[in-house]
Amino acid sequence: MDKVLMKGNEAIAEAAIRANCRHFFGYPITPQTEISAYMAKRMSKVGGTFLQAESEVAAINMVYGAAGAGVRVMTSSSSPGISLKMEGLSYIAGADLPCVIVNIVRAGPGLGGIQPAQSDYFQAVKGGGHGDYRMIVIAPSSIQETVDCTIDAFDLADKYRMPVMLMGDGMLGQMMEPVSFPEVKTDHLPKKDWATTGTKMKRKANIINSLYIHPEELEEVILKREEKYNTIYETEVKYHTEGLENADVVLVAYGTTARIAKAAIALAKQNGIKAGLIRPITLWPFPTDIIAKTAPNVKCMISVEMSTGQMVEDIRLAVNGVCPVHFYGRTGGAVPTPTAIFEQIRRYA
Amino acid sequence: MAYNLKESVKKPERLAGGHRMCAGCGAPVVVRAILRALKEDDHAVIGSATGCLEVSTCLYPYTSWKDSFIHSAFENAAATVSGAEAAYNALKRKGKITGDTKFITFGGDGGTYDIGLQSLSGAMERGHDMVYICYDNGAYMNTGIQRSSATPSFADTTTSPAGNVIPGKMQPRKDLTLIMANHNIPYVAQTAPMGNFKDIYAKAEKALYTPGAAFINAFAPCPRGWRYETPLLMDIIKLAVDTCIWPLYEVEDGKLTVNYKPRKKLPVEDFLKAQGRFRHMFKKGNEWTIEQFQKDVDEKWERLLSMEEN
Repeated sequence: MDKVLMKGNEAIAEAAIRANCRHFFGYPITPQTEISAYMAKRMSKVGGTFLQAESEVAAINMVYGAAGAGVRVMTSSSSPGISLKMEGLSYIAGADLPCVIVNIVRAGPGLGGIQPAQSDYFQAVKGGGHGDYRMIVIAPSSIQETVDCTIDAFDLADKYRMPVMLMGDGMLGQMMEPVSFPEVKTDHLPKKDWATTGTKMKRKANIINSLYIHPEELEEVILKREEKYNTIYETEVKYHTEGLENADVVLVAYGTTARIAKAAIALAKQNGIKAGLIRPITLWPFPTDIIAKTAPNVKCMISVEMSTGQMVEDIRLAVNGVCPVHFYGRTGGAVPTPTAIFEQIRRYA
Repeated sequence: MAYNLKESVKKPERLAGGHRMCAGCGAPVVVRAILRALKEDDHAVIGSATGCLEVSTCLYPYTSWKDSFIHSAFENAAATVSGAEAAYNALKRKGKITGDTKFITFGGDGGTYDIGLQSLSGAMERGHDMVYICYDNGAYMNTGIQRSSATPSFADTTTSPAGNVIPGKMQPRKDLTLIMANHNIPYVAQTAPMGNFKDIYAKAEKALYTPGAAFINAFAPCPRGWRYETPLLMDIIKLAVDTCIWPLYEVEDGKLTVNYKPRKKLPVEDFLKAQGRFRHMFKKGNEWTIEQFQKDVDEKWERLLSMEEN
């Protein structure tokens, strides 16, 4: 397979097209605007639709419409724009529609800054929009993995009929790395016989809806969806581990931060400290089991994030008091250095 | 007192130099021209939507604004300032505040024509005593030149790229000035910083000192997005007006006046050819784009003249 050098944002766009996404609705916001610009150039060449909406609110609702028609559809934004999309996202989850939302996270809250951050973890995995819903959240840590995860995101969305978020950060979006694009197959996925594509007077009309006036009826729908979420938690967790055997200290980090954590682990090794890494790839479903299994064998875990400590809460829930869980983070667009993370390892080893 | 440019520029600057707007950008020229119309003793509360103007003039902890400045988000500048104006009125009513404060909002075309249209329309309809000024550079320049509903037909932007098949943006510009005029507010104007700046000064003064809501659409070229040489800024503004691409007019209590009628209406090519974003229109086979552009401009100009008569 040929390798090409690509910017993260452009690789996401190309991967989506390879995954047969033919509908993209975007709106400019730094640091992800290249996704829109790439789609603007490329979509018309593959017979797809690129549309720049008048706002993020409009874009996510265009996604709602296209997803309802059963096509593969994507939108992308960055933190403040994702906040605007939250209402639409909740409706999409409530209507059981598959779509992919890309969040190239920048520092918040408010306008924040345009530098990389991981401070949208809570928003992504704990709801963000209103109501009892979940969203699969995938956090790659290289451009190649971003490509692979983009393709997976469309498959998971179709498989479970739900929104899937691909969560990167400003660094992954702007960085260039060599990538190759795997061949995409979709024949294993369920048919979209629920889509509203016109009955041609041959079948009963499909209805896409998130409104249920009677509490019992709504409860039933939500509980049925909850069963689906439970299946996902049992079967779709993805993570990567390194050096967990004999490790005294285990770092837990995802995305860009995990790459820096690896450098810190190498520094620890040079200094005779055994450190390992658990890198969640799916942030929801969260890799609870591997964290719980590892906890009894280590001195402590350290969550390393570009936030003031969000994922650390899920690690603590998984560890459940079995070992201490520390936190080290930089926020506001600042990025942790290998040395600073190593200092934390040395402190707790 | 009759308008005199030399006299008006003697007023202290309210937007300090040292901001980071590009050389050859029309936006700070518009802002300074508008703010010169404020009485020296009047204080202003100025809101700005997210955009080049906002990020380049208030890099925390620095600010170029001598008056009070608020930035909140992209879609809500008009709502933010209308809230400030309502609070000011309440404080004034209770005798808790003295002096005269003017409420001004600046937004680019992305933040005004597109995402901010809802909050702008709401603020104007409620009739807050404020002036909303759109500095229209015809695209989302802050994020790197994406098309907006203010982008003219056929312009090349990163999300309306001109290629072998599609010659740039395929939709016509939204006519925001007339949309705002149809809000039936006391004052609406379309202007540009041109010549001795009399047009923009007079309109800013009317907008600021006419009680109630006012809207000004100001032409603000962008050298990065339009691809012109920075010293050509003022020439490009003049060409836009002389080709009738950007007519100068105002609507006062429903009465429309065209403030400038070029003695010799220039062909649109004169405006288009100085800018890289329209370069593809001059390629062989694309002659129809220029004809179409001219036809659209002519129709709109004639319609404006007939609206003035009626």
